[in-house]
Order: sequence, then C-alpha cells, then structure tokens
Amino acid sequence: MKKLYVLFSLLVVASLALTACGGSSQGGDLLDNIKKRGYVIASTDPNYMPQSGLKTDGKRPADTKCPSDTLTYAEMEGFDVDVANEIAKRLGVEICYATPDWDVVTAGGWADKWDMSVGSMTVKPPRPEVFHFTTPYYAPTGVLAVAADSSYQTIEDLAGQAVCVATATTYLDWLNNALDLNPTDIYAKPPEGITIVELPTDQECPQALAAGRKEFVAYATSITVVESNIAAGLPVRQLGEPVFKEKNAVAIDKKSGFDTAAFLKAVDDAIKAMHADGTLSALSIQWFGSDLTQGLVE
Amino acid sequence: MEIFRKKQADGSLSHVELLYQLQQRKQMQFRANVAISWIFLLLILYVLFSGDSLGLGAIQLDTDFIKENFTFIAQGVGDTLYISFLSIVLAIILALLAALGRLSTFPPFYALSTFYVSLMRGTPLYLQIFFFFLALPQIIPWWAQVPGLWAGVLALGMNYGAYMSETFRAGISSVGKGQREAAIALGMTNGQMMRRIVLPQALRFAIPPMGNDFIAMTKDSAMVAATGFVHELMWRATRVGRTNLRNLEALIMAAFFYWIMTLILTAIQSRIEARLGKGDR
Repeated sequence: MKKLYVLFSLLVVASLALTACGGSSQGGDLLDNIKKRGYVIASTDPNYMPQSGLKTDGKRPADTKCPSDTLTYAEMEGFDVDVANEIAKRLGVEICYATPDWDVVTAGGWADKWDMSVGSMTVKPPRPEVFHFTTPYYAPTGVLAVAADSSYQTIEDLAGQAVCVATATTYLDWLNNALDLNPTDIYAKPPEGITIVELPTDQECPQALAAGRKEFVAYATSITVVESNIAAGLPVRQLGEPVFKEKNAVAIDKKSGFDTAAFLKAVDDAIKAMHADGTLSALSIQWFGSDLTQGLVE
Repeated sequence: MEIFRKKQADGSLSHVELLYQLQQRKQMQFRANVAISWIFLLLILYVLFSGDSLGLGAIQLDTDFIKENFTFIAQGVGDTLYISFLSIVLAIILALLAALGRLSTFPPFYALSTFYVSLMRGTPLYLQIFFFFLALPQIIPWWAQVPGLWAGVLALGMNYGAYMSETFRAGISSVGKGQREAAIALGMTNGQMMRRIVLPQALRFAIPPMGNDFIAMTKDSAMVAATGFVHELMWRATRVGRTNLRNLEALIMAAFFYWIMTLILTAIQSRIEARLGKGDR
C-alpha cells in the first residue's frame, strides 16, 4: 500500500511538472515557417456563399502539400476562398483551408492550428485586442430583409417586431445598438423595441421565413447574403437602404506562439497590391456582381 | 431438445412435441407480424416525405439536390465511424479503470475515479473538446501538433468513459456475492477472480447500455467538426444544406446515414448479446 501511495504521488508531481514547463512560446518566425513548409492555412467557414462554400465535386490534387485534415483550393469556392488563394500565391506558397465554426474563429487563441482568418471578419472593437488586422479587403453593407409578400416598407415599420440574426455577427451588434464602428460608417439606428431571434448562421433566417415560420418578420445580414438569397429564388426582399458599412480584413491571432510581424506585413502588402492591380475589384464583381472594394486603402 | 423430437412408437406426436410446435409457430407468427408492422411504419414515413407525387400534400423535398450531394455527404460516414470507433475503445478502457477504481479500497484510486467521473459528467462535452483542442496547447506547447480529430477523440472517449464506468460498476455489482466467495474458496487471487469470474458475467449486463452509448456517440461525434479539421457526416450535411438553402434535405440525408449505421450497430449488439447469453437460461 505504501508503495502505491508513493507511486501515486510521483505520478501527480510528474504531471504537474509536465504542465509547468509549458507556457513558453514555440518561437521562430511564422513567415519563415510558412515558406519552409510550403503552405499557409486560412480559416474560413463554408456556411456562407458567396463568400465561402464547398465545391462538392472538387477533386483534391494528388501533389498537394496541404495536411490531410485541411481542404485544398480545388475543394472550395467563394470570394473569401479566392482572396485567400490570391494571398497565398503572392506569398509563394500553397493555400489550405481549415473550417472551424465562426464563433471559434472570432474568440481568438487559435493555438497555431491555422495561420490567418480570411473569413470576412469586420474590424471592430474588441476584436483588435485579440487580433492583428490587415488593410480591409472589401466592405459590404449590412441590410435588413423581409418576406417578399410582407407589408413593411421602411426600417421604422419594424418597430416592436422580432428580427432574426446570426450569432456572433456585426448585424447582431447593430440590432443591439452596440456596433462599435466609425460613426460615419453607421447609416441608421435599429428599429425601436425589437425582439432579437438568434440563429446559428445567416442562412437559417431566410429559410425559416420561406418555410412560413412566424417567430420573426425580418432578418439582418450582409447585402451579399440577401442578394444570394434572392438569386436562389427565396421569397424575400431587401427593406430600405443599407444600415451600416463594415470593413472586413484578414485577422491574425495575437496569441500565436510564433513571431507574426513579418507575416502580417507580407499579407498586408499582398492585399494592398491586390487593391492596386484590380484583382480584388475583379473578384468582387465575379462573386457579388458589384465592386465592394473601393476606398479602403489609406 | 432431443427429448422433444423423439417420436412415439406409433409415429404420432407426443404432447410435449405438440406443445413445442405450438410455441414455435406462435413465435414465428409474432416475428412475421413485427416485420409487417415495420414495413407499414416505413411506408408512412415514405408517404410523409413523398411530396406531391401521391397527391396527399406531403412534405416536399428537392430530389435533384439530394441526388447531386448524395456522394459528398456519404463520404462523411467513414470519418463518423472512425471517430466513434476510436472513442468507444478509449471509453471502454477508461470506464473499466474508473469502475475498478470506484470499487477499490485504496483511497487515492477511489478518489481519482470519482473525481474523473464527476468532472467529465459534470461539464459539457463541447467544452471538453475545446479544452483538448485549444486550451491545452497553452500549457503544453507540443500539444499544438495534435490534430483536431485526436483532440476530439480524446474528449469523446473521456466523456463517454465516465458515463460508461457507471454501467460497468452496475454490471460488476450485479454479479452475486456467492460467485466471488466460490472463486476465493477455489483459491483464486483477486485478479483471477475479476478476470475469470466477475468481469465475464458483468459484461453480459453491460452490453445493452454499452450499445446505447455507442449509438449515441455516433451522433455526438458531430461536435468534433467544430474544431475545423474533421469533415464528418453532420458537418458535410449542414454546410451543403446552408450554402444551398436546403437544410431540410441535407439533414434528412445525414439522418438516413445515421439510421443505417444505427441499424447495423444494433444488429451487431444483439449478436454479441446472444453469444454472451448462451450459457444463460
């Protein structure tokens, strides 16, 4: 019995020692590391067409350097997907995609599982406490949408009604009157006395409306989502004018164990170059039908 | 059984034989009726989702979407089974250790076992997956190399191991005291008694709830996808469904595969049960 006690306490001490020696960073330069391994991992959630979706008939290339549990460019499509691919090209490496849930990405602390988020993340407080942001790569507007056959004509008509929105989004912040953007980028106040219905993603809201659910009468989301909903034949329409403009950028984890300064600079330079040579405008027109990339480079 | 089959001298059936035949016939009839009822229930389910094709105003599904994405979603079955299988193996090992710890008279083992079960059952599985995936690398840097799938398997295995340890404990406690006493009387050591007498009998009681846990786990394995590196059944279904605005169709496809898996697992479970129950009357 005594021996067992000793063994047991040794085990406890050993496991404590194992954890105690941790805490230090892995060290090294992230950009060097990426160039050495030949690929960069971007996180993007393929829940959001036309920004990010799965190409279900895409064939994974045989010679890809991407780890087997990430997706390759051939297996994904969308605006964010193309922007990430373009950034990787300019870094001279292959692009690979990790697909964590959106709220996992926005929480930060990625433990270096992926290198950057190219997922339409809006630059707004308190996110800069957790992330380094690059120059924004596009700026869509937030809008409200309602069922096509409803009688609402203006945003004020929604006063006292229930509004659907996706969790952990800028649209939710706007509905809560808590969107911390540059005041000139906010065009309208949320309707008075609304009830907020939070669903996992923006796509559940229009589907619920189309299915005839009555828990809410409108939803707040990006103009790109509403336009793709209409194009997909859902009976919805945009209500009034856009309510705010969000500047979306690439985010890099501040808690990374690597030195990220050179990587941040390289990605930022790539985006500025993509603004300058018209690559971003062309991609925006290809995926959204309009150029949402103007006036973002200072 | 021989006694029932022995013919009487004049070739007619004995009373025992007649009774046996009657029982057999009744059982056959029962099985046939169950099968017919199952087919009927399946038909109702089919009609419910048949759309307007039968003119009954049922739920309408986009069959083109289902055909187009069938193989893509089906590719997730492998990952789902792989995760569930690894997790269940880990869970069984941990459950056995925890159950033995719970029955141990050595205080630290007893404490470790109850602490583990309490902690794992008392906190959400989702949090545990995140702990192993994103929090642990902060204290053990090399842990960052551990893939998302393994972090998920570890969390699932530890979580289900805690639940399953109670199943095992119940099984072990259900073995009669007389069995242990007989083993000791035969001069077996504690370990021999456990291996040869108690655990084989305990397993028989533990199989049905273990099957239950395994089936539940195939569906809980979907949570591992939140880590971003596991593209299992549910993940594929929800992504394809959302981006094409066809959530219902996509989820029904995932449900179809889950159900098939469950049917197969149930069949395996009843075979194991039948085998282990052979010596029982």
